This record gives sequence, C-alpha cells and structure tokens, in this order.
Amino acid sequence: MNKHLIATALAAAFLAAPLAATAGEAELMARIEKMAAELEQLKAELKASVKKTEAVEQRQQAIAAAAPAPAPAAAPVMAAPATEPAVAASAPSTIFGAYGEINYNRPTKNASGAQADVRRAVIGVEHRFDQKTKMVAEFEWEHAVVSADDKGESEVEQLYVEREFGNGLRSKVGLYLIPMGLLNTNHEPTAYYGVERNFVETAIIPSTWREVGVSLSGDTAGGLTWDTGITTGFDLGKWDAAGSDGRESPLGSIHQEGQQAKSRDLSVHAALNWRGVPGLLVGGSVFTGKAGHKADGFTANDARITMVDLHTRYTPGRWDLSALYARGQISNTEALNETLVGNPTPVPKSFAGWYTQAAYRLMEVGDYTLSPFVRYEQFNTAKSYAAVPQGLGVAASPDEKVTTVGANLKVGEGVVLKADYQKFKEDKSRDRLNLGMGFSY
Amino acid sequence: MRYRHLIPLAACAAGAPAFAAQYLNAEQAQKLMFPEATAFRQQDLALSLPQMQQVEKLAGLAARSVNWRVVGAYSGDQLLGYMVLDDVIGKFELISYAVGLNPDATVRQIEILTYRESHGGEIRLPAWRHQFVGKSARTGGLAVGDGIANISGATLSCTHLTDGVRRIAAVAQVALKK
Repeated sequence: MNKHLIATALAAAFLAAPLAATAGEAELMARIEKMAAELEQLKAELKASVKKTEAVEQRQQAIAAAAPAPAPAAAPVMAAPATEPAVAASAPSTIFGAYGEINYNRPTKNASGAQADVRRAVIGVEHRFDQKTKMVAEFEWEHAVVSADDKGESEVEQLYVEREFGNGLRSKVGLYLIPMGLLNTNHEPTAYYGVERNFVETAIIPSTWREVGVSLSGDTAGGLTWDTGITTGFDLGKWDAAGSDGRESPLGSIHQEGQQAKSRDLSVHAALNWRGVPGLLVGGSVFTGKAGHKADGFTANDARITMVDLHTRYTPGRWDLSALYARGQISNTEALNETLVGNPTPVPKSFAGWYTQAAYRLMEVGDYTLSPFVRYEQFNTAKSYAAVPQGLGVAASPDEKVTTVGANLKVGEGVVLKADYQKFKEDKSRDRLNLGMGFSY
Repeated sequence: MRYRHLIPLAACAAGAPAFAAQYLNAEQAQKLMFPEATAFRQQDLALSLPQMQQVEKLAGLAARSVNWRVVGAYSGDQLLGYMVLDDVIGKFELISYAVGLNPDATVRQIEILTYRESHGGEIRLPAWRHQFVGKSARTGGLAVGDGIANISGATLSCTHLTDGVRRIAAVAQVALKK
C-alpha cells in the first residue's frame, strides 16, 4: 500500500514539475525572444548605416577624383550571388558524444535473482582532421566498476580513421564495427526496442562485434550501399568447453576485440544494403575466416568460422517492422571436439536464429513518444555438432523461443525509458520483467 | 597473399577524385532546381519577431534563426521560386542542403550539398527526397513517420533534415509566399 502511495506521489511529482516549469519559462522565453529580435534589428540598422557610410565615402572619393562619374550600371542580371554554405567555418572539428543504459531485470519465478546494473557507459569522440578525414573513437565501461575483484569491463569499442575518396567511396582503418544485422552498427539504447538487446543479435551475431582491419564502402545512385573489408577474426583456441559462455554466445566467447588479437588467419566480410524505396531496408552480409591461427598442437587449425545474415526493416507511417535471420558455422571441429569429450560445452558446428518485431508509435504528447512493441525470436546456440564416436557426443540443444512484449517511452530524441516482459518457451525459469533507462547524444 | 586481387581495388580507391562529401555547390543546386531560370538574385531574409513566432507555430519547432539565405529564381521578371540554403546537424556532423520552393510556398525540390556522416548517405537518394515535393507548411506531411519515411540506420540524420525542411517550409509560408 505504502509502495503504491509513494509511486503515485513520485509519478505526480514528475508530471507536475514540467507544467510548473513551463509557465515561468514561457514568459522568460518570450522576453529572450523579444530581446533577440531587438538585437537583430539593431544589428541590421548598424549594418545599414555602415553601408550608407561606405557609400557616402565612395561618392566623396569619386567627386574628389573630379572625374565625371559614369551612370551606375544596372544590376547584373545573371549575378547568381548564392553564397557557399559556411560549413567549414561553423562546424567544430572535435565532437564529444555519449550513451549509456541502466537496466533492472527481475526473473518472475525467482525474485531473489533480481538485479540492477549500470549496463554500459560510453564516451564517443569524433575528430575531423579535414574535409575528407576523420577519427572515430568509443570508450566503454560495462557493469559500473572495473577492478581485479569486480565484474566490470573497460574497453575501446571503436577506434578508426575514415577517409572519403569521393564518388561515394570511403575507407576505414582500425577497430570498427562489422556491418552485420540491424543492431551491431546501431547499438545505442535509443535505437532499439526493449530493455535488453535481442537474443539473435547477441547470442548468434556477437554484438557489439568489432574487429581490427581495413574496409572499403560505397553507395550507388540506386540506393545500394556496399561494405567490404579484411579484418582480424575469432580465436577458437579460447574456447572453454568446461564453462557456459560458449553456450550463451559461441562467437561472443571467442571474439578478440582488438586485444592482442591473433592474426595468423585473417577474415573477410561483405555487406549489401538496399534502401531504394523510402522507409524500406533490405540487406544481407557475410563474414568468414579461419580461427585456428596455426597454433602449436591445436587440433582445429583448419576450423573456419562463417556468419551470414539477412535482414529487413520497413517503417511505413507509425509502424516499425523488422525481421532478421542469422546463421553461423564452425567447420572442421571433429578432432577438437574429440579432445573435449566429457565437457558440457563442445564447439558447435552450427548456430542460428531469427526474429520478427513490430512496433507502433501509439502516442505523442509534447516531446513524449510512446511506442509499444512485440518481438518473437527463435535461436539456438548449439544447433548441431560435428560427429563424434557414438555415445561420446553432446546432444544438440532445442531451439529457444522468446516472446518480448513492452514499450519504449522516448523523451525528446535523446532519452528513453523502457519496460518489457520476456517469456521463454524452453527454459521457463528465465521469464523476466525488465525496466531500463537509456540515453544517447 | 590470398588477398592479392584486392590491391588494384585499393589502388583505384586511393586514386579516386578528391571530391570529399561535397556533392553540389549552391550554384549547381539552383540550376538543378530552376533549369529554366535566366536570373538568380540573392534575397536574404530577416524575420521579424511576429514572423518568427508564426514560423514556430507552423513548424512546431524553434525558429532557430532570424536570418535566412535565400536566392530568388527568375525568368525575365517572372518569379519562378526560391532556394533557401541551410545546415542541420545529422548525428554528429553538419548536413548542408537547399530547399527549392515554388512562389506558393510548396516544396519544389530538395538537394543535399554536403553529407559527411559515416552512415545515412541515403538521404541523397532521389526517391527519398521526392517525398517532400508538393508539400508545404499548410498541407503538412513534412515529418518523419508522418509523410516522410525514416531511413533505417540514419534516423537522426533524416529526422533533423526533415525538421529543417519543415522549418524552411514555414519560413516560406510566412515570409516568402506570393
């Protein structure tokens, strides 16, 4: 009862505060606007009087020259005096940005597992050296505290230099995001629905997925964007068959993230995205490379990791509809898995998932925008294993199916409050309620 | 050297003309918008306070600026329309663009002069820009999700550009309409 009272009081206070603020603010704004207009008028008058003075001076000089001044020529008709936009002058060369999110998860069947977490705090820096060259960096802290005894992580999430060549061609060199799926390159909390990122693009596509390398991108007049590149890849030598990380996200457990990344084997990636019809995006991508790095005594030096994805997003009017399919494969793991017999998490041969999501912009009141959404996803981090001798293998996992229902409440364009409920079909103990706050600027 | 075949590709890229992301200058844009014009005259605008308030009311946005860069396009003495030049911030960087307007304050054409963001260059696509044509501050339909489709992956750029066009449409309605 008490809780309800407090909650109601808090809600009332939040709602009332902006109303109280606007009355006084409006008056102040009106005065500021009036002053601004007066200032502009004064500026204009000053400018006019300066011009007049100049004109008078010129005329005086002309008279002083004692030459019969010719009749002033008519204003040239094809003057085309359009000024260039003053972009270079007004654009700052170094820009800071940030995003962050704080989430609360409450398993509905195990309230003692409830948790609040400063999921991530990110600082972004972009510096433009010249019209064609810029540097982009993102520094991130996860889970609030980073030390030997804590679970937090501190990481450089992006660090690259981009150069434009014209004709729509541009190249990146450094640590950059792999252009796969819908979320990886658009991972700010304001850009997706739901408190937590979807499972397919975290468990199957290991967002936020970045590699060190070189890329070349371009776009065509028909609305096609292409990206291609050579980068570092995964390190299968890091696979922990005794732990559970590999089952949560096979690639997430062996990614290298530019941290002394083994580079004997490099990977290549390519992506195609088409946006020829306004509001529609259709795309796909592929990433492939070996992951053994010719390590001494390693039994899977020929293992190749390949990821593919197909995605689409359509935003007609108030609707935001999307669908995505992703599949990963790790080849030549038979010998490695034989050495791992007895462990709970051998290396899977394939893992895959898909989701479909619909969101609707239901209400806009002032700068509040409420968008309820529903998402259904199906994913499997161990869809199949390479054959091992009878009786020694681990059975493939069943597909997990998750339905997420919730809403995003945007405040302006930079802040979002989220709430949703997630229902799991296989592991029902994971059913949970999520609340979150995110921002991005 | 498995990637040897990529070397010529990289070489081509490095040798491409150095255009940066400036696609058009203002003169090129005005000729694209008004190919039949025989004269362009700079007719910069300074809004009065009541005009600014009207713009804010029509656009649902802060009027932002008193002064506007305007070019009038003429065929002889006949006014064909206006081009208004403006900049908005996409996600991080400035987008320079021009809005062509008919004398009745409806949008005639949108041209992107410069675009520098790593993503969202699709706002230059003719199909996307065509969504604005024929609309005005009176007809509406100049907002993302309400007449203008979003570009997936470039929400901020297309929202800010669309807001900019809506503001200019309101300026035209208030101060340029004949």
